[in-house]
Amino acid sequence: MIGRGVRRLREAGVLGMNRRNAEYIMGHNPRSAYPIVDDKVLTKRLARRFGIPTPALYAVVENHGSIAGLAGLLGGLREFVVKPARGAGGSGIVLIRDRTEQGFVTQSGRVLTPDDFAYHLATLLSGVHSLGGTEDRAIVEALVHPDPVFAGVTVREGVPDIRIIVYRGFPVMAMVRLPTEASDGKANLHRGAIGAGIDIGAGVTLSAVHRSRIVAQHPDTGNPVAGIRVPSWEEMLLLAARATEMTGLGYLGADFVLDREAGPVLLELNARPGLAIQIANRAGLRGRLEETDRAPAALFATAASRVAWARQRFGRVAEQPAGSSPRG
Amino acid sequence: MRRPVFLLVAALFCATAVLILYRTFRLDYPLLPAAREQTWQLIVNVYLTPKGEESVLALALPLEHTGNAVVEERIFSGPYGFAIRTEGANRLGVWTGTGIGESEEITYRATIHARPRRAPTQSPLLGPYPPAVGEGERRLAEETAAPWLGLAPGPRLRAVAAFLADESEGGGPSAAAARGRWRVAQAKLSRMDAALALLRAADLPARPVEGLLPTADVHTRTARWVEAWTGRRWTGLNPETGEVYPETTPLLPLAVGGLPAVAARGAEIADIRWGLSRQAVSQWRLLYERIARSGHFLDRWSLLQLPPEFQGTFRVLLLVPIGALIISLMRNVVGLPTFGIFMPMLIALAFRNTGWLYGIAIFCGVLAVGFAVRTFLDRLHLLLIPRLAVILTLVVACFTVLALVGSKWGMREFMAVGLIPFVILTMTIERFFILVEESGSREALITAAGSIAVAVGTYGIIGWETLQLTFFIYPELILSVAGLQILLGRYRGYRLSELFRFRSLGETP
Repeated sequence: MIGRGVRRLREAGVLGMNRRNAEYIMGHNPRSAYPIVDDKVLTKRLARRFGIPTPALYAVVENHGSIAGLAGLLGGLREFVVKPARGAGGSGIVLIRDRTEQGFVTQSGRVLTPDDFAYHLATLLSGVHSLGGTEDRAIVEALVHPDPVFAGVTVREGVPDIRIIVYRGFPVMAMVRLPTEASDGKANLHRGAIGAGIDIGAGVTLSAVHRSRIVAQHPDTGNPVAGIRVPSWEEMLLLAARATEMTGLGYLGADFVLDREAGPVLLELNARPGLAIQIANRAGLRGRLEETDRAPAALFATAASRVAWARQRFGRVAEQPAGSSPRG
Repeated sequence: MRRPVFLLVAALFCATAVLILYRTFRLDYPLLPAAREQTWQLIVNVYLTPKGEESVLALALPLEHTGNAVVEERIFSGPYGFAIRTEGANRLGVWTGTGIGESEEITYRATIHARPRRAPTQSPLLGPYPPAVGEGERRLAEETAAPWLGLAPGPRLRAVAAFLADESEGGGPSAAAARGRWRVAQAKLSRMDAALALLRAADLPARPVEGLLPTADVHTRTARWVEAWTGRRWTGLNPETGEVYPETTPLLPLAVGGLPAVAARGAEIADIRWGLSRQAVSQWRLLYERIARSGHFLDRWSLLQLPPEFQGTFRVLLLVPIGALIISLMRNVVGLPTFGIFMPMLIALAFRNTGWLYGIAIFCGVLAVGFAVRTFLDRLHLLLIPRLAVILTLVVACFTVLALVGSKWGMREFMAVGLIPFVILTMTIERFFILVEESGSREALITAAGSIAVAVGTYGIIGWETLQLTFFIYPELILSVAGLQILLGRYRGYRLSELFRFRSLGETP
């Protein structure tokens, strides 16, 4: 029974945790490049040099002493996001959409008193949410106003984000993470958000995964998840493809948000992207990664050529000659 | 990348194999150290009554070169001085001293291990006839033995034995006549001398032996028999009955060549008893006694040379790498989540003091209390380090209460609670809480259950005495464990849990 299970996964080209760690992360991601993606301050700084848009950085809180001065630093800003610079898995992120007499109003409508707010910042600095549990910095950045394209499949004014796996500069797989009631408006799969695969070629959503199960509708809104065309798809793929040159990481996950006005904005990069994206796409990553390894050498030169090849190769809805079979 | 890994692993396995083979074949280490071996426990009690002058007691001690190995000897001399003297093939324990007048007890204890492989290789010379045998008897003995001289030593001995048992026949009328005349002549001799004379006439080196028959009993007298050399080993022969003692029941010779097993001068032996009992002793124990006296490099650098109070630590320590191997296996091949790598192992070590059942109960109890308090603390908005300090204090408080409860009810398992690594438990509470917050209580409970399962498995392994002894005697085995760890590090396949996680991808669309 186990042997059959293994054979089926192998035939489907599914990438397992062990192989991802040993061959793709250890094999393509030099450790020296990790700080760039693990620290969002560094990511933002480098992204600006490479012309990749990120949410505007308002302030960086370096130590406990400067927590008190933050309110003054923020001035009249009414909406912003506080997150740990070295956070993992979306924890410790607070979205503030307004300020009142009582304090700060979060995205979900909860009011944080200035005391609560200061405690939260202190927690971030202590490193509770940081990758290694070490001391951290807190960053304050602009709140993104998501494009209404996913409004029908998002709850609680959550911000859906788009994860693109980039291997050696090729965008090989993508999904959009849609917040649910269960995930408390957060776009993290392990908190209960749903992930819908995106066809690399056409930029159209496919079926979705919710807690390891395939779903067709959003569990809260009931709207179908599949068939949504992602705006500025080509542009987003090009930005993602350039993240490889920017970081030197051969295997990474690039997380974007679609801003109403600015279009695709890079939220963060991940040197150890998760594997659930395979379930969302109902396709294995390993097959695509190995196919990318066999791509003609000339294609590796520019982001444009890589994106064009990947769209043609890994797309399955449109821009595919009729009759060609979908991969996976 | 793949080749150097396999070469390294092969080298590690080879190094282990070479060292183990060397130890078993050259140094005669037991392959299964925990297996039990039958040994004889010999206790000789001598009550000596001095006669007012210097008294000397000579007691024949068990012989090593007869196929038995003396692995342990203890002597209780009372007021006497003690020395071991070698006399010919014999070992004599000699006690000397001036007694006070009352009967003194001298005790000698030994553990004797029958090891048939350890036979002497040097062939003895043919000795003279016993002094009691005269010229006439000699000739008669030679005539009687003449028909047997064509036989090989083994059958020749059996022919002599059959003759002594009055079962001899054949050989024609002249041989029968010779037998008849010898029977008349031997009536003048002791049975022992008669047997020795016949064996001498049959060209078999032989010697009288005083020793103990292998029966678990208290012997008040020693037994006497004859040993004859049959080419490769000494074979015992009962001169009274002509019975040849089988090789499978080794006798316990004490004195050979006519020397008395016990002799006293200037004192009287009031009582003497040789107590023999069977005892199963592990090979490990036998080896321990042997290695302590060995001069070989690997023996001198064996862990068995450590003082016993430190040996226990290493017996466990050498198995910890196996525990780490199991944890790697669970995480990378099975996909069972655990709280870190070291936590299950340290918990397993702590289980050794509390027992696994109590250990799990204590662990879960403290974790539950810790989780409740941590949930409450979350509302107090404490900073990270002071918050951990509070949890640490809570853990110590829980331990104290448990130890007090244990002492009240006389439960040692609870009193040993202090040996559970409290730092690990503190960190586990914190990580458990964060896991509940971030991934839900289901995930956190699975991780806790996984950790406990791995801890119990590891506890079983490190507490397995057979494995402990094997690794203790062959510490090179950890090289092979490292080899397996390296091999596991090269595993690129799916985890068992992934077969379930990605099962929808395996279905044909």
